[in-house]
Amino acid sequence: MFAIPAKWRRKGAASEEEAYYTAGQFALIRARFMKKTSGLIAGTILLALVLMGLFAPFFSPVDPTIRGADAEYRRGAPQALNFCDENGCSLRPFSYTYSKEKPKFDLSALAGGDLNALDQLTSSGALSASSQNKFIEDREQRRYLQFFVRGWEYSLLEIGWLGIDLRSDLHLFGVEQGKLHLMGTDEDGKDVFSRTLHAVWVTISIAIVALIVKLFTSLLVGGVSGYFGGRVDAVLMSFTEAVRVIPPIPIYLACAVALSQIDLTPVQRYFAIALVIGALDFATLGRRLRTHILVERNQDYVLAAQLSGASTGRIIWRHLVPSFSSYIIVDTLINFPYVILAETSLSFLGLGLTEPVNSLGVLLQKAQDPDIQQNMVWQFFPVVVFVALIMAFVFVGDALRDAADPYSERNQ
Amino acid sequence: MIDFFANTWLLWILLITGAVLWLAARNSDYFHYVLHRYLMALGTLLLVSFVVFGLMEVLPGDCAEKYIAYKNTQGEMISQATIDAERARMGLDQPMLQRWGNWVTDLTLRGDLGFSCAKRQSVNLAVGDRFWMSLGFCLAGLLLAYLIAVPFGILSAYVLNKPWADRDPQSSPRERFTNTLLLGFNKLIDLQLRIISYLGLALPNFLLALSIILLYVFAGEPTPTGLFSDEWRNVPWFTDSGFQFGKLSDFLGHIWLPIFVIGWAATALQLQTVRALVVDESNKLYVEAARARGVEGFSLWARYPVRHSISPLFNSVGFDFQRVFNDLPIVAVVIGLTDAAGLLIEALAMTNDQELAAAILFLVALVVIGMNLLTDVILAAVDPRVRRSVISGGQ
Repeated sequence: MFAIPAKWRRKGAASEEEAYYTAGQFALIRARFMKKTSGLIAGTILLALVLMGLFAPFFSPVDPTIRGADAEYRRGAPQALNFCDENGCSLRPFSYTYSKEKPKFDLSALAGGDLNALDQLTSSGALSASSQNKFIEDREQRRYLQFFVRGWEYSLLEIGWLGIDLRSDLHLFGVEQGKLHLMGTDEDGKDVFSRTLHAVWVTISIAIVALIVKLFTSLLVGGVSGYFGGRVDAVLMSFTEAVRVIPPIPIYLACAVALSQIDLTPVQRYFAIALVIGALDFATLGRRLRTHILVERNQDYVLAAQLSGASTGRIIWRHLVPSFSSYIIVDTLINFPYVILAETSLSFLGLGLTEPVNSLGVLLQKAQDPDIQQNMVWQFFPVVVFVALIMAFVFVGDALRDAADPYSERNQ
Repeated sequence: MIDFFANTWLLWILLITGAVLWLAARNSDYFHYVLHRYLMALGTLLLVSFVVFGLMEVLPGDCAEKYIAYKNTQGEMISQATIDAERARMGLDQPMLQRWGNWVTDLTLRGDLGFSCAKRQSVNLAVGDRFWMSLGFCLAGLLLAYLIAVPFGILSAYVLNKPWADRDPQSSPRERFTNTLLLGFNKLIDLQLRIISYLGLALPNFLLALSIILLYVFAGEPTPTGLFSDEWRNVPWFTDSGFQFGKLSDFLGHIWLPIFVIGWAATALQLQTVRALVVDESNKLYVEAARARGVEGFSLWARYPVRHSISPLFNSVGFDFQRVFNDLPIVAVVIGLTDAAGLLIEALAMTNDQELAAAILFLVALVVIGMNLLTDVILAAVDPRVRRSVISGGQ
């Protein structure tokens, strides 16, 4: 180390060092996290994705539901934004007006029972799936990109039981007339870009609900088992061990099948799926909590709380759990991608959320369709967003894990 | 007499194993531990069977309804009374605990997993070969994962704190140049592997399988789904003209996809685990002490941190298998496999076949518990640190 001359040493240096030793756990974690470049970049991407998901209606130019479906542009390819073409350049990006090719075949010939006409029709390829994606782009009619345009109306903030319903129709971007499909449309004419943005938030929020449920079940199992010890501990832990060896996805599947028997509204189904995913995933965190509480429960402060007459629940919740809170929070964040994967896998198999709902799993499910694989590759856009989202979560979780590890600084 | 033994063979095997262990445990601490683990494993299995059996109760429908529904298609008139009578005949009206007791008794006496109503055959017969096939997939995937993850994870840990270039003033310029080349090469491999391992978490198995299939679609080739192409599916392995090598090559051309896809996520996870374990160990004082004694380079790494980080890795084989099997059902759907995982999905999601699904889940748990038992016992025999901690720890 360099020896800094006394007169150059900043006055705050001593207190800075002091600040380091007196800093709280979260301040330390934050300071260490800020040093990780990969974590910071991933964190920015993640924040951008989450915000875009949260304010999806604002960022999406087209209504993702069937109401916003573009009947004129079904199975349409992504509409590129250009700055230049043969008619000159413009600073404002533009796309073109697309129209459906008129069917060239004559149906009246068929009506006469002419089999040759039928042969001609089928061999011309006019009925094949790929020809249905053909659109004529009218280069003369440009559609200029506009920012902060008024478009379809959406609910900005809706709190049913307070009677608050803030509605808005402002969008970040759009085109003057008609609709802009940045990532093309699906077979109903729904905009893939808008659907994906909406799906991101549905998927993340389901993960949040599931993780909260998971936290509660883990706290319950781990807390009770660790605090009481003895026979309760033995019973609960052998049960946990038994649950741990069974692969989780088949268990989710069985529960999802049972759920599909009950008549549920989409919202209820959404919460039920989150509940199932969260409630069954208590084994790992529960065991860690139990070990921690087993060690901590013999400390003096627990005895002091007991002597002051605190109830068992209060001791676990207010005295024992906070000493473990940084681990719990980090573990929860690290588990985000796995919960998202569980939801996606369920929806992918058609047993989680289903069609009209936009979730990433529902959108990914379509990638299985040979028609989409061959003719509508742009419907793989949700796959890209999904991979980016999980990657961002994994990078942030990794950086956070390193930051939360008190021994990590020694290794650097 | 022979009938009696034929009907209770599994129980005898279990009892004899226990008795042998008990005899050995009388004057050996090690076998005492093994006996303890053996009994624990049996207890966990019993609990697992209860959890699995209870879980299957939530699936809709039961055997009687399926039987009667089948008869309904044959044109017989069905009333609720018929269903109830059928239910009573099959013993489905008994409380769940009693049915579970019967199931477990059959299982422990002669390894009988029950009768599948949807398939109309014994579960043992329906699952048999396919379970071995799944097991083979999982083990091959795991082997692939370990083969890639262990050496490269160690490499990754090795280059962790190394610089990109060698600037040691004591070495000659030529040494410096070769060292820099080598380090740069290692660092690049490490970087690639880290990206791959993150991608392995971000690109789940089913998406990877889909992407590979998509590549085949773009190339215009037939996709390698299933285990055989149509041409070879019904050709037996041995015909009059000897062994069919065409079938073997066709099989190998299909089998790589499931194994690669299954091994993919496991590889990513193992890479990170191995790396973390070796980094952890390499910071310990005994490594520093060895370095101070003058041990360095390959022999230092192989003899100190790596050797010690292998045993926790070996210990997790059972749960690695569970994790791999966890992904198998979805992969089976995407690739169109008809192994036990495909059967499980079919039983759970389509035919609601409780007996079959319970049996497959139980078998998977059995393999996991068996592997855990085996790794614990082997580790305690091989690794003196583990032996001391489990035997004198008063477990």
